[in-house]
Amino acid sequence: MNHQKIKIIRILIGIFVGSTVAIAVNRENTFLAFAGVLIGMLFLFFVKKKNKALLYDERIKSIAGDAARFTYVITTIVFAFLSLMFLISSKRIDSPFVEALGTIFSYTALFNMAIFSISFRYFNQKY
Amino acid sequence: MKNKIKIFRAIHNLTQEDLANKIGVTRQTILSIEKGKYIPSLELAFKIARTFNEKIENIFIY
Repeated sequence: MNHQKIKIIRILIGIFVGSTVAIAVNRENTFLAFAGVLIGMLFLFFVKKKNKALLYDERIKSIAGDAARFTYVITTIVFAFLSLMFLISSKRIDSPFVEALGTIFSYTALFNMAIFSISFRYFNQKY
Repeated sequence: MKNKIKIFRAIHNLTQEDLANKIGVTRQTILSIEKGKYIPSLELAFKIARTFNEKIENIFIY
């Protein structure tokens, strides 16, 4: 099984999981949604395990690293900016809900930064 | 980084896919290396050189 076939299988699994979840949401059936996602994950796992074609090489690892770094920067800045907006707005609107939202976003941004610092330190020592 | 992988592939009658399978990377990686968009690691460069029975300096132009 080559790379192209695995790509097609991945797309089909995605369609299966997506449609199962959509049906589950429509019928308000949580179990069906979980079952669909679980079956999709198991199927993908077995396909990857059985197949000997390479899926993940150094170039993809490098791209994933760059994409992760980019995602980290964007999400942290967006969360920080949103928290600032909500906290400032909460003073004017005097809404505890808005203030809580601002607090959550600010802690999320801090959590992002903490995870990045810890993982950077870990990989710095490893390499 | 410029390289002569395409030339050596032609000499050894290998497609990008064949070379990729031999050294354990995807075809897209070989394509990116040939175009000079991706600089391979030292390990990968050695693998490519050994596949063609050449020195690294003969394949990659620094």
